[in-house]
Amino acid sequence: MADMEGGTAQFEEDDHRAVYIFNPGDGDGDIQLSARPAKRRKVAKKDASKLQQPRAALSLGSEFTPLFNGLERPAAVELRKHLFETAWPVLEDGIQHVLREANRNTLDEVASFLQQDPGSQTGKIAAAFIITGPNIASQDLLFGQLGSTLCTATQARFVGLRASEAPNLKAALKKIIRDATARVVDDEEDDLELSVGQDGRKYLDYDLEALHVFLRHQHSPRRVIVAFQDSEAFDSGLLADLITLFHSWHDRIQFDVLFGIATSVELLQARLPKSTACRLHGAQFDVVQANSVLESVFKTAVAGSQASLRIGPSLLRSMVERQQHQVAGIQAFISALKYAYMCHFYANPLSVLLDIERCVDRGLLQPEHIEAIRTLDSFKHHTEAAVEARQLNHALSLLEDDEYLITQVLEQKQKQQEYLTRLLRSLHLVTSSGLNSGFFVELYMLALSTGIDLDEKSGAFFLVDGLRRLSPDEFLSLIDRISAAMRTGSPELGLEPWIADVDEFARSLADLRDEVEGLLLRSKNKGTTLKSKYSAQSRVLRTTVVAQKVQLSRDTATLTEEDNAFTAAIDTLAGLLSENLHCDSIDNLFLYEAWVYDCKTPYLDVFVPRPGATFGRSLSRPHDYLACDCCSQAKGSLTSSLPTTSILYHLYLEAGALINVADLWSAYYTLVGDESEIGLDERSALVHFYRGLAELRMMGFVKQSRKKADHIAKLKWL
Amino acid sequence: MARNKSSAEATAPRNLRKRELAIDPYDVPDETASPKRQRRSKPPEVVSENHEDEEADGDEIGSISEPTPRKPPGRAPKQAAAKTADVQTSTPSAQRHKTVAETPVKLNGFDTPSRQNIADRSARRKSARALIDRVISDAVSDDDAEEEDIAREIYESSEDEEADQEEQRDGEEGQEPTTPSKAPGRKRKAATARKRSPTPPRDLPPHEQYFYQNKPGLTKTSNNNLSMLDLLTHDEYFSVLRQLKDPHASSIDSLQALHAKSFPQWAFELSQGFSTCLYGYGSKRRLLQNFATYLTSKIPDRNHKIIIINGYVRTLTPRDILSSLSAALPSSSSSKLPIGGSNPTNTLQNLLSHFSSSSSLTITLLINSVDSQPLRKTPIQALLSQLASHPQIRLACTADSPDFPLLWDAGLRAAFNFVFHDCTTFAAFGPAELEVVDDVHELLGRKARRVGGKEGVAFVLRSLPENARSLFRLLVGEVLAASMDSQGGGGPDGDVDVDVASVEYRMVYNKAVEEFICSSEMAFRTLLKEFHDHQIITSHKDSIGTELLSLPFRKEELESILEELTA
Repeated sequence: MADMEGGTAQFEEDDHRAVYIFNPGDGDGDIQLSARPAKRRKVAKKDASKLQQPRAALSLGSEFTPLFNGLERPAAVELRKHLFETAWPVLEDGIQHVLREANRNTLDEVASFLQQDPGSQTGKIAAAFIITGPNIASQDLLFGQLGSTLCTATQARFVGLRASEAPNLKAALKKIIRDATARVVDDEEDDLELSVGQDGRKYLDYDLEALHVFLRHQHSPRRVIVAFQDSEAFDSGLLADLITLFHSWHDRIQFDVLFGIATSVELLQARLPKSTACRLHGAQFDVVQANSVLESVFKTAVAGSQASLRIGPSLLRSMVERQQHQVAGIQAFISALKYAYMCHFYANPLSVLLDIERCVDRGLLQPEHIEAIRTLDSFKHHTEAAVEARQLNHALSLLEDDEYLITQVLEQKQKQQEYLTRLLRSLHLVTSSGLNSGFFVELYMLALSTGIDLDEKSGAFFLVDGLRRLSPDEFLSLIDRISAAMRTGSPELGLEPWIADVDEFARSLADLRDEVEGLLLRSKNKGTTLKSKYSAQSRVLRTTVVAQKVQLSRDTATLTEEDNAFTAAIDTLAGLLSENLHCDSIDNLFLYEAWVYDCKTPYLDVFVPRPGATFGRSLSRPHDYLACDCCSQAKGSLTSSLPTTSILYHLYLEAGALINVADLWSAYYTLVGDESEIGLDERSALVHFYRGLAELRMMGFVKQSRKKADHIAKLKWL
Repeated sequence: MARNKSSAEATAPRNLRKRELAIDPYDVPDETASPKRQRRSKPPEVVSENHEDEEADGDEIGSISEPTPRKPPGRAPKQAAAKTADVQTSTPSAQRHKTVAETPVKLNGFDTPSRQNIADRSARRKSARALIDRVISDAVSDDDAEEEDIAREIYESSEDEEADQEEQRDGEEGQEPTTPSKAPGRKRKAATARKRSPTPPRDLPPHEQYFYQNKPGLTKTSNNNLSMLDLLTHDEYFSVLRQLKDPHASSIDSLQALHAKSFPQWAFELSQGFSTCLYGYGSKRRLLQNFATYLTSKIPDRNHKIIIINGYVRTLTPRDILSSLSAALPSSSSSKLPIGGSNPTNTLQNLLSHFSSSSSLTITLLINSVDSQPLRKTPIQALLSQLASHPQIRLACTADSPDFPLLWDAGLRAAFNFVFHDCTTFAAFGPAELEVVDDVHELLGRKARRVGGKEGVAFVLRSLPENARSLFRLLVGEVLAASMDSQGGGGPDGDVDVDVASVEYRMVYNKAVEEFICSSEMAFRTLLKEFHDHQIITSHKDSIGTELLSLPFRKEELESILEELTA
């Protein structure tokens, strides 16, 4: 009985209550939430002793489970947790900083616009139109920042309005008054006395007079900034009314308005009546485009040296694609990034290797860890490569000697650091050279998956063509840019200046520069222009076909000594660059699994669910979930042993747009009724049938149809 | 009148007919006898001739001279038509084609085929429009079903007719191979004149299947209904349910245990500021309960509170949620809270600021069926998302329908910061979650929601004053009479749902005044409102705006109610 009715008697009472506080330990008598006074008293007692509790409450329940089937040592579990807790907040701070900075310009512009106070001179309401773009998810952050910036910059009250909060004029005014008066209150008493003026007069809560009196009472500047966050969603009549009202109060309270605009100012203007529009004195502000925000977040949190965990190329690609193809917003990217960190440290026992020193110090590595390392793909590749390279001892020790393996693992830490530095430096040089026009995000993903090899002609990093096309001046500035990049590093990527590390490279660059400068000077003295073999040729190709052959030879013939030297310089630079900008793809590294997370499944399942497919699968192939013996033969077809709803679902799939319930019932009953192997009697079958039908309805598969008696209409075509 | 005809039609054994057999021979007399039909297609003889053509065609393609016993006058024109065709086959192709298909010449003084064609075409156009209107509006007028049938038949008959003509001509051409090559337009027509295959195409992608199944003329279902079946009452449902055993119980339990293994993971996700959403087929209430138990065992801190919201409870309001939240606050701050504040957003702001001020408090909201009816409104979801985005409030919810992602736009979704988990449980929904009997009866259009049929009515009426009882008696009598009328001589198969039998509001009012049940319309309305409150009466407006009253009971029930009332 219990299994059919779904619940156990224990919860019976709570089931019918709409909302209640869960209280498993106590008896039924205690849960009486509705008896509120009693509850309050009880909580009060508990509360007195608990007030000193630190803010640790937030991390409650974030316990990691021991892995290796529970064999993992608690200390190792702790370490993983610790690693996660130190790794993520650093990044999060960085990201928040980037986001703040990204909007900095807009904020400053808006603030200075409002500070100039254009409204008071023209007698109009100052209006800032902020083009936020279509992503409403990121608007909250922007307007939050606007609020705090403008409050400090203009000493005004800031009220953010959203269309859902202000369906009509009254509600909008109430919200404005409430928010404007609550902002600067020091003690809560003011809050309650808001509606009562000094002279004891009471105001309605949508009367702007109340606000006026309040502001006068506070001796603060009588200025209120109202922000319409999603201006498109507001009723245009409401907007017009509000603006007219603000204007009429302009001599007493100075209102300024902000509009968050997803489309264009013209559209907004078209929606407002002319009489309203001419009361506004506006300026337009653009917010940084989503792409560039993504790039800076990416540089900080994914590529930057702060990131202790690397996100692998395939996961990264799907995350970035989701940004570009769906309007997911930067928040979604950050969440996904965080989730990747969580997954790695929560579920990968080898993530402790990120802090291998501590592991070894505390003897945290247990046999399971060693075994897990030996099952890694990269371990396999490494040993196989060792065998092929005839380093048999090395390979054998890796396989058999745990101590040796641990020392090898320890060494990897160093190699990982070197790899990352090389990768980032190379990428930074490639982007700052300006020879490659690709986005940093793209380049980074390419570098991870295929490595950086400047000589490979088909790759995105093939710079030689670009190099050869350079004129001497461009050549010089390229060298300047490269050495400047090495001298300054990249704060975004967390790269320190590293010119000291690459003395030789820097010196040869400087030599090249001097040489080319000398060449340039000499050819100028001679009155010729310095060119390379490559650029000369390219000019020839542009001449007529008839003259091609002749001209080609003449051109090469006229290459001067300096030209030849310049050509040589270009070749040297290309050689230098490809020698210095080089790195492997990330999965070529030994033990990269410990610090690279590249798993697409949980990401897609968790953030981009496909409920339709899930429901369809569970109903059409229940065996996939239930793993019962009776339905194993079904293989997605109809058998009588399936759960009722599943049977009905199969029948439903076969039916047309209109389903006769009588026929459905007889089909079902034939399948499970007396004569079938299930052998249900009619009434029991009918109970099952009812349940199934009710469930189909609840899931939105069918609805009532009045076209015919006892018919239902199909709603889903999956 | 229309109803008369329709019931007659319903009585015809059409339910035996497969939809693909274009026109059943037995069907023809009914249709031609129907006055509506005659009105629509001007010269009745010609129409019937057409039908015979089709009918003949159903049996044997191109058998022109099959005798048609029932309509002697129809015979002559048909032969004439055949003759015309014969004559014209010898004319040059272009002209012949034109004349036959578009404007046949007047011959023999009979009613011109041209006029017939025009009449037919206009009827077809009208019926096509009617079909389209129907599909668009999904109107629920009483005789919609019948009208639709008629319209559809006209539409299809003309299609078939075209096919017939084509085939006839093809036959002729077979006899006369000397005719010049066919005009291209002709060919196209021949191509469209296909017979519908009786089996639907297999393995269509979902969208194609949608269009296939919603094609006009394809929504034919049998006329069987559940009148033979004694529907379940609540009592019977629960008593039978108690004796049933689910053969999959152990599998379901192990599935549940499997999901329970993810509890630590979910707790971790919640603690990191994500909200979890569990979706999949089956009741997830027990799972969520277990999760709540797990959370309390893991976080013994008394500053951590778990609030469970049962979305499936139909009376759930935002205020319930807010008042529970404020009850969870320590009393020192909650005493100041104006819970009774009229505005939920107002209260919410206060609540959230109080939460921020008492920083040690953490609240976990567990929501059962976040996609249920009472929670579907945007304001509630916005409220929940605001709660979820507060750092001290965690939120986990379950969703029962496959369409739940539509609840949230990008902004809400970002505020919730959801992670989704497939939690298909296959567990049965409890009686609180799913009111099986009521839901099914509503689905079937038996709207006896909680009134409990005849007994319920008797109970309700006993509590009402005398004149209410008389009014109800009057109403029952009228509805019964109306349903009798509508079946007038409809034969034994008169089981059209009485639900469709309704009476005019104005008429009932007049009768009530006549019988001194009430003196003013005001009083009449008051009485009706009482019935409405108890859901023993329904009212709706028909297409021209007449207010109609009907009773949500079956005919037998009405009869016994009437007996009881008059007794």
